[in-house]
Amino acid sequence: MAEFNEPRSKATASVSSSGNPTSFLSRASKCAKTLEEGNRSLSDDAGFAQVQPMMEDWHQPWLNGVELLEDSNRNKHFLPTGYEGIDVLLGGGLCEGQLTEIVGSSSSGKTQVCLYSAAHVADKHFGVVMFLDTCNSFSPKRIACMVDQLSSSFSGEAKERRLKRIMSNIFCHSIFDIFALLDVLHQLEFNLKHQVTSGHTKICLLIIDSISSLLTPVLGGKGSEGRLLMVSAGIILKKLANEHNVSVLVTNHMVGGEGGILKPALGESWKSIPHVRLQLTHDQGSNICNVSILKHTFMNHQ
Amino acid sequence: MEIANLPISPSQRAKLLSAGYTTLTSLSAVSPFQLARDLNIALQEASDILKVMPEFTRSESLHGGNAILKGAQTAWDMLSEEQMQKHITTGCENLDTILGGGIHCKEVTEVGGVPGIGKTQLGIQLAVNVQIPVEYGGLHGKAVYIDTEGSFMVERAHQIAEGCIMDMLDKFRHHQKVILACQEQMQPNSFLANIFYFRICSYTEQIAVINYLGKFLAEQKDVKIIIIDSVTFHFRQDFDDLARRTRVLSGMSLELMKLAKTYNLAVVLLNQVTTKFTEGSFQLTLALGDSWSHACTNRVILYWNGNDRHAYIDKSPSLRSASAPFSVTSKGIRNATSQCKRVRMM
Repeated sequence: MAEFNEPRSKATASVSSSGNPTSFLSRASKCAKTLEEGNRSLSDDAGFAQVQPMMEDWHQPWLNGVELLEDSNRNKHFLPTGYEGIDVLLGGGLCEGQLTEIVGSSSSGKTQVCLYSAAHVADKHFGVVMFLDTCNSFSPKRIACMVDQLSSSFSGEAKERRLKRIMSNIFCHSIFDIFALLDVLHQLEFNLKHQVTSGHTKICLLIIDSISSLLTPVLGGKGSEGRLLMVSAGIILKKLANEHNVSVLVTNHMVGGEGGILKPALGESWKSIPHVRLQLTHDQGSNICNVSILKHTFMNHQ
Repeated sequence: MEIANLPISPSQRAKLLSAGYTTLTSLSAVSPFQLARDLNIALQEASDILKVMPEFTRSESLHGGNAILKGAQTAWDMLSEEQMQKHITTGCENLDTILGGGIHCKEVTEVGGVPGIGKTQLGIQLAVNVQIPVEYGGLHGKAVYIDTEGSFMVERAHQIAEGCIMDMLDKFRHHQKVILACQEQMQPNSFLANIFYFRICSYTEQIAVINYLGKFLAEQKDVKIIIIDSVTFHFRQDFDDLARRTRVLSGMSLELMKLAKTYNLAVVLLNQVTTKFTEGSFQLTLALGDSWSHACTNRVILYWNGNDRHAYIDKSPSLRSASAPFSVTSKGIRNATSQCKRVRMM
């Protein structure tokens, strides 16, 4: 919460935690001007020296590599999805602070991976799972089935209590257009910044199933507003992931490309946005799905 | 979210920025009087600016509970709601079993198949079955039938309604009280009166009707199912710009999903099939391609197995893949029996 008090004689200001970099120039110049007016005897260097700490407060702090590594080790945990194959492929699981995308054609298992990860993460006390659903495919019944499988060693009342605990940690919200999604993300960001974070009520996993159905109605056409919305959504998601240690999982579908080969939807501009991209394929008539990495920050393509 | 996104005039925005209010957080806790003083504007103008701020940043919400997101429900609450939800029976027990009790409300189900398999029959059957009174185990709702091909036959609907009523009375013939209570409702004509029928002749009309349905459903609160017979018919021919077709279709599917969720009803889309050349052979797939295949929550494919009609769950978040036989009789969709085979024309 910030209020910029006009400096009278000294350059003092209480600064907001997330300053807007585009306006710091205006404030800095205003501040320097007031300094000049108030302290005409000071030389230019001293005036700048007084302004500089304020300017540094207005952008994100510079971090060196060691601090980044410490932050990554301490805060950015791996959230296991519960599927061993996928966890091994991802090097531990869904990484907090990263945007993971799952691509697959229809009924290849994307929603199942999302539901199972939600159940597994909620079970292991990592935190709260937020599921943003665009195709009405969030099925509490299916999650209850999965939890049943996970807690096969328990019985009776303990099972019931466990089910209630896990299901109460999964929140679901339905979204049907891209602007509502942006609103929800802003709201989440705001709430996370101001929330008194106790360990168990903090969001650790945000799932959007599927982001491509929100973006396809606006992409294409003559203007590029669609791509703008897509990239903004990507930026906000990654910012949310990085600042609040949330892992973001989105799903995407496939469209026909050249020669009839399927390729992921949302085009070239989206390709660089997720940190990790996984592709699911489902063999007809079998229960086995294959996962392959399309893009990963530190693993080779397999 | 920054000040730049608020719907205020450029001069007000410039004043806010030069006074140092660049983020919503800085505006969220300031009083109108203080804002008016800092910006040198009238008190009324200051309170107007504060009014356009999004609701979640108002100071009350900061202290009000630890709701992570307004409007989100926990899975536990949704599970309890779902368990109390009734399903729309299709008339065939095997089909109901693989569907998990029937067609689910709040979901979009797509039914596809070759011509002549019984898609329209299933559509009419569902429009009748949704009206079964609560005492007989139904939803007692109304139906909206959007017809794009002109395949809805009123005489057949009457026949199916009669068949449904006869079967219901038959099943509950020992429960005299129940029968007496719903006497007037169990007439074929009243069943027909509760089906709202829209005839569509072009794709623009289709989009218009779906956009209008929101208002229609707000007035008619009892509608529990929307059936669109051949959602793809008008999009298959004469569409020059395929990219535009994808955009329009995905917008339409999002609108249908929203209607299903907001008004707690089932949406059933009937689709045609087309051939696709993959891996060196021709295969039958649902029309409109890969982009449309994500527009539904569940997908059921009807196909011929020898001389019998079968239904197969192709895509569902909560049902497992299974197939079940069914048949089309004079009374409507019923369980498969040995008599209802495909008639071979010689």
